[in-house]
Amino acid sequence: MKNKDNSISDYKNKLQKIINKLDSKFDYEFNMSLSDGYSVTARSSEVENIEYHQDMALNVSVYKDYQKGSASTNDLSEKSIQQAIEKAQNISINTQADDCQGLPESQYTTQKWEDMDIYYPKTLDIKNIIDLTKDCESSAFQKDKRVTNSEGSSFTFSDNTHMILNSNGAYGTFDSTDYSLSCIALAEQNKLMERDYWYSSTRDFDALESSKHIGEKAAERVIARLGAKTIKTRVCPVLFSPEMTSSLISSFLSAINGSSIYKKSSFLIDKIDKKIFPDFVNIQEDPSLSNGSATRPYDSEGVLTQKKDIIKDGILKTYLLDTYAARKLKSKCTGNGVLTNILVSSKKPEANLLQNMTDGLYITDMMGSGANSLTGDYSRGAFGYLIKNGEIQYPVTEITVASNLLQMFENIVSLGDDVDNRNRIRTGSMLIDNITIGGT
Amino acid sequence: MNFIKDHIISSYDLSDGKLENVLSAACPTNIDFADLYFQYTNSESWQLEDGIVKNGSSNIDSGVGIRSVSGDKTGFSYSNNFQYENLLSAANTSKCIVNSGQDKEIKIGTEKEIRRLYEPISPLSYKEDNAKVEFLKDIDKYIRSKDNRVDQVIVSLAGVYDSILILNTDGIKAFDDRPLVRFSVMVILKVGDRRERGSAGGGGRYTYEEIIGKKFGYEFADEALRQATVNLEAVDGKAGAMTVVLGPGWPGVLLHEAIGHGLEGDFNRKKTSAFSDLIGKQVASNQCTIVDDGTISKRRGSLSIDDEGCETKCNTLIENGILKGYMQDKINSKLMNVDPTGNGRRESYACLPMPRMTNTFMLPGEYNPKEIIESVQDGIYAVNFSGGQVDITNGQFVFTASEAYTIKKGKIQEPIKGMTLIGNGPEVLKKVSMVGNDLKLDDGVGTCGKDGQSVPVGVGQPTLKIDEITVGGTQV
Repeated sequence: MKNKDNSISDYKNKLQKIINKLDSKFDYEFNMSLSDGYSVTARSSEVENIEYHQDMALNVSVYKDYQKGSASTNDLSEKSIQQAIEKAQNISINTQADDCQGLPESQYTTQKWEDMDIYYPKTLDIKNIIDLTKDCESSAFQKDKRVTNSEGSSFTFSDNTHMILNSNGAYGTFDSTDYSLSCIALAEQNKLMERDYWYSSTRDFDALESSKHIGEKAAERVIARLGAKTIKTRVCPVLFSPEMTSSLISSFLSAINGSSIYKKSSFLIDKIDKKIFPDFVNIQEDPSLSNGSATRPYDSEGVLTQKKDIIKDGILKTYLLDTYAARKLKSKCTGNGVLTNILVSSKKPEANLLQNMTDGLYITDMMGSGANSLTGDYSRGAFGYLIKNGEIQYPVTEITVASNLLQMFENIVSLGDDVDNRNRIRTGSMLIDNITIGGT
Repeated sequence: MNFIKDHIISSYDLSDGKLENVLSAACPTNIDFADLYFQYTNSESWQLEDGIVKNGSSNIDSGVGIRSVSGDKTGFSYSNNFQYENLLSAANTSKCIVNSGQDKEIKIGTEKEIRRLYEPISPLSYKEDNAKVEFLKDIDKYIRSKDNRVDQVIVSLAGVYDSILILNTDGIKAFDDRPLVRFSVMVILKVGDRRERGSAGGGGRYTYEEIIGKKFGYEFADEALRQATVNLEAVDGKAGAMTVVLGPGWPGVLLHEAIGHGLEGDFNRKKTSAFSDLIGKQVASNQCTIVDDGTISKRRGSLSIDDEGCETKCNTLIENGILKGYMQDKINSKLMNVDPTGNGRRESYACLPMPRMTNTFMLPGEYNPKEIIESVQDGIYAVNFSGGQVDITNGQFVFTASEAYTIKKGKIQEPIKGMTLIGNGPEVLKKVSMVGNDLKLDDGVGTCGKDGQSVPVGVGQPTLKIDEITVGGTQV
């Protein structure tokens, strides 16, 4: 990786030279990403796969007279770049003019970004990584003898560089690393198998949870699923685990994305300054979180990312707008050509949500694509646990969870303090009343 | 034409001798098998929204994937370019799976004649860009002229030309050229405060000639409008276990999720599937015969050869309710000591192949669809779906209906809102009590995801009745 700085400035110079020679009637934007890394999978105490990755991609967008064309290539030779530019120009000539189209006018990056606290390169010995991955799987087996099989344990590493350059003078580059270690354990009881997993995902190798912890956690989770029963159809309170809450919040975020709003394909159009969540709920975007899995200095168009309130005291404060969506909606760009870290918080987070539940379900897994972004109607398959008087009774399978997202947000009773920091969306668990559970 | 053969091999001066050296580097004596997968993919897409075609994109992705296999261990690396030195270096990385070994002499075979299920052509060059844009505009105009409740129309057209060369240490040398086009349309209707969506689309392994200027696009436009109109009337549905009649065609996503993934060879070799060790056992009612058929001409899920150079086949998975076989790639078939079934597929040169589905469908039964609906006292009739998912270990699967109706006393009643259905793979098909005589394959829009890799697939089925499955409505 030591030649990385050189290679980025080489590419920058190469692209700058190309821009200088290009037809100046066009505007140009180049997005480049480079990513090196590998993954190791161990299963049954043996290495199963070792895969090396080396990806590069260049995306070029061109604009002329409010017409736009895009092209991409993974061959970064000058000849291929020229061909991609020509292709994008040809496309732009055939598209229709749209006066919202064009490069961002202000607030764009003009520098190389360092000290974002997301780049921790480390030379790793592949032999140690293989051992780490094997240990992770073995600790799942050692944790409980009912763990009878596994889909293996995997380690992944990537070292990434991103660069943007446009003909208006925007320039930015930053590096990041990603490390993850995961384990999928299988357990069996009465000839019925279950699977579950655990993972750790960080920017810094040294911050990964230990292989032992990950394996054991996968084992605990799969053992807890054994002996699952079906239950009768009912309407009841549901406690969504942090992972499942993150999925609900993700449906909310895609419904307030600028492109959903201007295409009118969202259940949250015309809702700015309206109450969507209860008073105690706040949702913020923080693009500069140290070690954040979605931390980045600028968005896909080079516009600086911004820390902001999305939901303040339950009220929707902003849509998530890139340059095009902002012009289309006659609003201001919010640097949301990408979405960075999202923090969901409560003014009164609770420590023991499950223990305080008298009757309901704790949902830890959902399946399927049953979130309708146009109407907010929600219906998905689920797995969870029946709760009575603060205690888990038994695991529950083959159920559906149904409601409408607007009603679900309105019916939030409380948020837990068990925040999961691994994901882009950092949230604790969420208790929601009046959910329809389909069963037998 | 084949882009790899006509351009890459000559431009990079890759003689058989050099390719043999690369394979040899990936396959020393203690490696069982190695292969090279050359790929050049050119794709494009055009989208209309808000009444204008405001952007189009064109992408080129190419490279060579190199795999070294020893038993159940695999080493893998790839190169984004075709330079001989880079291929040698990727081959040396790929064999990292074993410590060392002597060089083995490898001979590349003569080019394999392949049975062609589609023309070896690039769909991209078949129409002028301008004609693609005009076509999308015309569809938009057509939809808006038919209904004044239209609030949004999104129409897209996408084409892919995939040129590949597979070389392996078994002596296979096979080229394939794979065209793929897809058209889709989404309509939002608005009445008062209520807004509902309808969508439709189709495609296959052919060129834009079959789409642009043909009835095709307008029929899908009509279908999207019809679905949105139905959804405007939809009421909240009930939750709980009930009788469900599935319409023909795309609802075959049931089979893809309920049994398809569970019958992929890798999961069964590792015994992580709910279907492991069930060959010869009853896993469906005796009316059910299900095949995975990669050989249907020009279909989206079809391949002349799979991504390991094996000819695709029509494989019987379940015959009269009895589990007959799994879908296999090379590694898993060898480890399970069965023949490959032509199901080794990969998203691209940058990914490892795995056993994957092609076109999975149920053969027709004896009942008239009308008769099936009339047999239901109280249940639902689901005709369109938006997708599904499965946990292959416990067999739980879901699929989400986007158009459904209640059935009362043998008659179809009011439409109900979209909802998810959940069932157990090895159990649900035992509850299939009637299979219709109206087999239909889907229109060619399916994409299947596994381990982060997406591949185009097809599904199909006749009308069928499931006596009981859990339905995720909101009413109790």
